[in-house]
Amino acid sequence: MTERRPKVVGFCCEKHGFDSAVLAARSGRQYDVSVRIIKVPCTGRVDGIHILQALEDGADSVFVLGCLEKNCYYDTGSIEGRKRVDYVKSTLADLGIEKERVEMFNASSTMAWKFPEIVARMTEVARRLGPIGKGGGDK
Amino acid sequence: MKARIQVVACRSCTELPELLDMDTLMDIDPGRELVVSSILVDRLCDSKEIKRVVGEARDWEVDRVMVLACQKKDVNPALLAAYKKAGINEFMIEYVDLRDEVVLPHLSDKNAAQAKAEAKASAGLERLLMMEPLEKAVESMRTRNVVVLGGGASGRKAAEIAAAQGAHTIVIEKSARSFKAPGVIMTNSSLLGAKGYGGNFVLTIRAGEKVEELQCAALVVATGGGWTDLKGPLAKACKSAVPLYKLHEQVQGGAQPKGPIIIADTPDPGGKNLAIQDFAWDETLELAIDLKKRQPAEDVYVVFQEMRAFGLSELAYKDAADLGVRFVRYDRSAGPKIDSKDPGKLTVKDLAQGEVISIPIGTLAFAAIPANKDNEGVASVLRIPMSPEGGVRRGSIQRWPVSTPRPGIFVCGSAMFPKSKDMAEAEGETAGLMAGRFAMSGSIEYGGMVAEVTQEKCSACLTCVRTCPYDAPYIGTAGKAEIRTQACQGCGMCVGICPSKAIELKGFTDEQIAQETRTMLGGDF
Repeated sequence: MTERRPKVVGFCCEKHGFDSAVLAARSGRQYDVSVRIIKVPCTGRVDGIHILQALEDGADSVFVLGCLEKNCYYDTGSIEGRKRVDYVKSTLADLGIEKERVEMFNASSTMAWKFPEIVARMTEVARRLGPIGKGGGDK
Repeated sequence: MKARIQVVACRSCTELPELLDMDTLMDIDPGRELVVSSILVDRLCDSKEIKRVVGEARDWEVDRVMVLACQKKDVNPALLAAYKKAGINEFMIEYVDLRDEVVLPHLSDKNAAQAKAEAKASAGLERLLMMEPLEKAVESMRTRNVVVLGGGASGRKAAEIAAAQGAHTIVIEKSARSFKAPGVIMTNSSLLGAKGYGGNFVLTIRAGEKVEELQCAALVVATGGGWTDLKGPLAKACKSAVPLYKLHEQVQGGAQPKGPIIIADTPDPGGKNLAIQDFAWDETLELAIDLKKRQPAEDVYVVFQEMRAFGLSELAYKDAADLGVRFVRYDRSAGPKIDSKDPGKLTVKDLAQGEVISIPIGTLAFAAIPANKDNEGVASVLRIPMSPEGGVRRGSIQRWPVSTPRPGIFVCGSAMFPKSKDMAEAEGETAGLMAGRFAMSGSIEYGGMVAEVTQEKCSACLTCVRTCPYDAPYIGTAGKAEIRTQACQGCGMCVGICPSKAIELKGFTDEQIAQETRTMLGGDF
């Protein structure tokens, strides 16, 4: 049987977040294929329900990637995004789901190294924890 | 009515056929028969190909299009223009970025890349099916006024350049001093209030005793730094102390300052709130070198906590040391002091020597300048953010260089943080050009992907009003939230935060995001 591939969902803002992913790709960096980028106009648009629904639909880990907090295109958008993610993390703790599965990151459009790092970290989390509720991935 | 979809794929962007099997990918809609036209072109940027693609779209009477190519920014704008001409709404075109999301980063895993590309294509299709045509509207600007707040170096330059663009400039200066600038100059005036959005602002101005209303298209904030109030124990003890820029001006004017010359970082070395601006070090080093070259016999001291000479400034640091400029580094616990009984001497513990040294004061200048106190009032009236140091904060670097996060409001000069006259003038020039062009464009385009309130669900909790950085939501006459579409930038922050789920962002609805996520998760890769 082949090894189960992890499923990682990344909500990326259309401005700096997605641009950093594009720059990573264009500077020849390779990252894990399991990441699913969902574009949103701004991380402030991400609602807790989007993250929870993604987990429900089979994602092993979810990350939200926005602009740097001091350089956000929509000024306070990535700060708002972080608040939502923090709220979801506290909800997950109540539900008994590992809160490391959800994480917020910031990047600027020139940080080509950042996106592969984020993907590596989140896929590592997904591999380590395995599917939600099934207890333990490949340890 | 059944959707009629055209799928266009660009072979050049997707670097086919080495990685992806495009024929399978194009066949994403089995059984549903929604895709009526499907074309694989070699280069979508080619105008001949665009003609062919759009011609086919017209023949098949398609109403929505999916473009499998690169990111939206990089797709030839001629394609969008051609589709527009063919009567296809610009929001009914979905761009699926296969190049940057699939092809380039997953070159080594062919099967997974193919599965991912297929999932992306079907997610794009799902998203497209949920799109509704959106219209953009145009509002003409009522005036061509550009208001410049502040008649300092940067403000005057901004007014000059904006006027050269054809805009009508109004300079608002709080003091009574006279200066030359094109257009109207209002002295003894200040900004009391502001309403509206980029293109059509209505300002409330106090002019002398009177309060007036003033319409303008764009605004330049050039309030300057807090030059006049050098605060702190050192400035208090040494009355003759000057800010660095003043010493710079004196030296440029040919004056020979009395030695020994001390350039200290801040007049308030023990203070918590007064950060030392990074820029100050470039100017300090430049001036120290200049002084040492002009007056080699005089001692020049630079007294600092932390030398932030980055990049090429590091060379200046070395040059200054080679020329004999003395650098005295101190620690907060034993900062420089001037005894009020003997104001002719500055004592400081030199960290390098570990001893307290005493330097006779010939000339004393400070590199760090407090921010202008007026900034706070201006920022709260205009609803633009401030930096922790008390300056007006610039917007994201992806916007224009001297812009604030709000369109139509520009900032230049020492209002952001203290800087030299040359720098301030250069920024003023840019801000003037931006504001002038903005005002002369004559109209603003708005709408499209913007937020919309379902009033039945709104509980008027004011969360959206507080969250929006653009002042777009307000409580309307019905006691429910409404969105000023002209001000809305389409970020969706109010949508995500609304506790009643009463606001929706067109083009990024909850269903669209959820469906896209679900489809992407369904793929096996």
